[in-house]
Amino acid sequence: MEPALALRPPRHRADPRAVRWWTVQGLLVAVPLALTAGAAYWFLTERQVWLGALVAAFAVACVALASLTPRLYYRVQRWEVTDDAVYTLHGWLTHTWRVAPMSRIQTVDTERGPVQRLFGLANVTVTTASAAGHIKIEALDHELAARLAERLTTITQATPGDAT
Amino acid sequence: MNPAVEEVREDDGWRTLCRRSLAASAVMSLGLAVPAAFFLGRALVERGWSPLSVAALVAGLAVLVVCGVSAFDYVRLRTTRWRLTGERLEVRSGFVERHHRSVPRERVRSVDITADPVRRVFGLAVVKVGTGEQAGGQSELSLDPLLRTDAEALRRLLLDGELSAGVSPDTSPGASLGAQDPAVARLDWSWARFAPLTVWSFVGGAILLGAGYKALGLFGLDETVEERLGPAWDWAIEHPWTAVPAVLLVNVLVGLLGAVIHFAAAWGGYRLEREPGRLRLRRGLLTTRSLTLEERRLRGVEVAEPLLLRLGGGARVKAVATGLGKTDDEENEDVAALSPPMPREHAWRVASAVAFARPEAGVTVARPDAGGASPRPGADDAFARPLADGAAPAGPRLTPHPRAARGRRIRWALSWVALVAAAVAALDLMYAWMPAWAWAAPAALLPVALLLALDAYRGLGHTLTAGHLVARSGSAVRSTLALERAGVVGWTVRGSYFQRRAGLLTLTATTAAGRGHLRVHDIGQDAGLTLAAQAVPGLLEPFVTRRADASG
Repeated sequence: MEPALALRPPRHRADPRAVRWWTVQGLLVAVPLALTAGAAYWFLTERQVWLGALVAAFAVACVALASLTPRLYYRVQRWEVTDDAVYTLHGWLTHTWRVAPMSRIQTVDTERGPVQRLFGLANVTVTTASAAGHIKIEALDHELAARLAERLTTITQATPGDAT
Repeated sequence: MNPAVEEVREDDGWRTLCRRSLAASAVMSLGLAVPAAFFLGRALVERGWSPLSVAALVAGLAVLVVCGVSAFDYVRLRTTRWRLTGERLEVRSGFVERHHRSVPRERVRSVDITADPVRRVFGLAVVKVGTGEQAGGQSELSLDPLLRTDAEALRRLLLDGELSAGVSPDTSPGASLGAQDPAVARLDWSWARFAPLTVWSFVGGAILLGAGYKALGLFGLDETVEERLGPAWDWAIEHPWTAVPAVLLVNVLVGLLGAVIHFAAAWGGYRLEREPGRLRLRRGLLTTRSLTLEERRLRGVEVAEPLLLRLGGGARVKAVATGLGKTDDEENEDVAALSPPMPREHAWRVASAVAFARPEAGVTVARPDAGGASPRPGADDAFARPLADGAAPAGPRLTPHPRAARGRRIRWALSWVALVAAAVAALDLMYAWMPAWAWAAPAALLPVALLLALDAYRGLGHTLTAGHLVARSGSAVRSTLALERAGVVGWTVRGSYFQRRAGLLTLTATTAAGRGHLRVHDIGQDAGLTLAAQAVPGLLEPFVTRRADASG
């Protein structure tokens, strides 16, 4: 018994440069982790072969995860802003769709991390009055992000009430 | 500070806190001074000081503590000013660092008046004004203390002033309620029988006894007590079959007594009233609390039925309101609580009275995204129906969730049991001392876990009434939440790999009030998307697609 209704994926993907950004970001964590494991093996143990194999496997797994998951992320992360709502989808094993109506948006933030800036990317975060309801659109071209934030701010300012 | 300057500021409407606070804080400082004096006295006596010098030093210390606290309070009173203007409530405070906080009167969402026993004797009360800002811990503005009468007057001014500003029509509720008793609920002392129905009654006794023993240790009496108890201890070792049940019995008795005393202290004098446009809760035997909540801040109501309470036929009612839920200094107090544990039928009656206490719902529908499809809650509302005919079991009639949700709960239960069994197996392999009866633990856990899983599934349900989205879930902590449809500020739809395979999803309505969300767990995919589309027309609908080959 297949369900008859489904949520369609939002229209837009993140900027293609996001893959490289996420890869660099991931490697910045994974490479030191792998190196530390290797160094600990080399200097602190008696260099048993089985342990060496384990450490090597760990290091390879770290780097492989960091360089492969961004492609996966890119495929599953989507966003869309209509005249009435902000709509996003993310998650690979667990899909999470979020919708916030324009009339209930309270703040719009753009943020750019240091690595992100190298790639000319920015995130847009939209919050509603709910503690559980903020929506993040990751890795947009920074000019697009600025335009989007401006558009959202204009629309939300035009809405009367305190949006609770 | 120059008195002349003081005068000018008073003319501006700046007012001081009540001077009587000095006396109250001096009395309260005795709570610190007496133990401090006791310890000093004991230490000096042990060193062999003469009684006279001990008495002098102890008295000196006590005076020092009382004076110190009073001086601190004096500075605080001198430096704190507040005023209520036409638009805002302002408070200036701070000696080293000056603070100026100001709250627009239209933002005031709740007024909480508290008086502990000492302040009550002096006719004082602490006023806390909630503004409902969710960000940061600065959601409250407190005036500590005012004269009790001033506090009441301020409460009326803050809330009445707002009503006369014409935001909400206060005539209709007043008119419709004029004939009725304004009290939605009043304390019935027989409800104290529900008080012990918490886990705390069973572990609380042990904690109390332990804390008592620690306190004895602080006063250096533990050795004396141990000497006295020595024979009793020997007897207990010799007769474990009598002693262990006896100790357990004492533990439970202490827990019961503690629970009932706590119930009496927290809920004595309980009264929930509906005033025009707002709810007023009064409770507390020693520390009296009075919480006034504007009804237009109310977004719904929750009926909580923890397992033990539910088995005893009781339930509690909580408010889902914006600007509530911050419990800065009193973590153990649930500010949103609208009722003590009470009989289930009664709880539903209160919940339903609270949920439909908002005739202004018609006003909120005017919001663009609320759509025109949420008419005034009427007699056809499923939330109220069981109360009207009285025949149905308490609570609204809910649509059950697909059987796949039951399968998921049973699988969770089995995995928990498997985990415990694996832990026992691992310990068994590693250590020889594991007795065979340790395997009784997972064996005994199996039926309990399965029962809880089935109960959790039976509890699952949702419905949509004219004004509210209602969802129930949980077994150990079952809660039925009714959230006003106009209070939904967004949706989150979540489908894990297993949920998608079973055609289920978890639908979360986000809201500004209470915990910030209402979750409908493991609802069928079609039912969930339809529910969301119906609850808030136009929000999720544009993103829902129908499969081309689906019939109908």
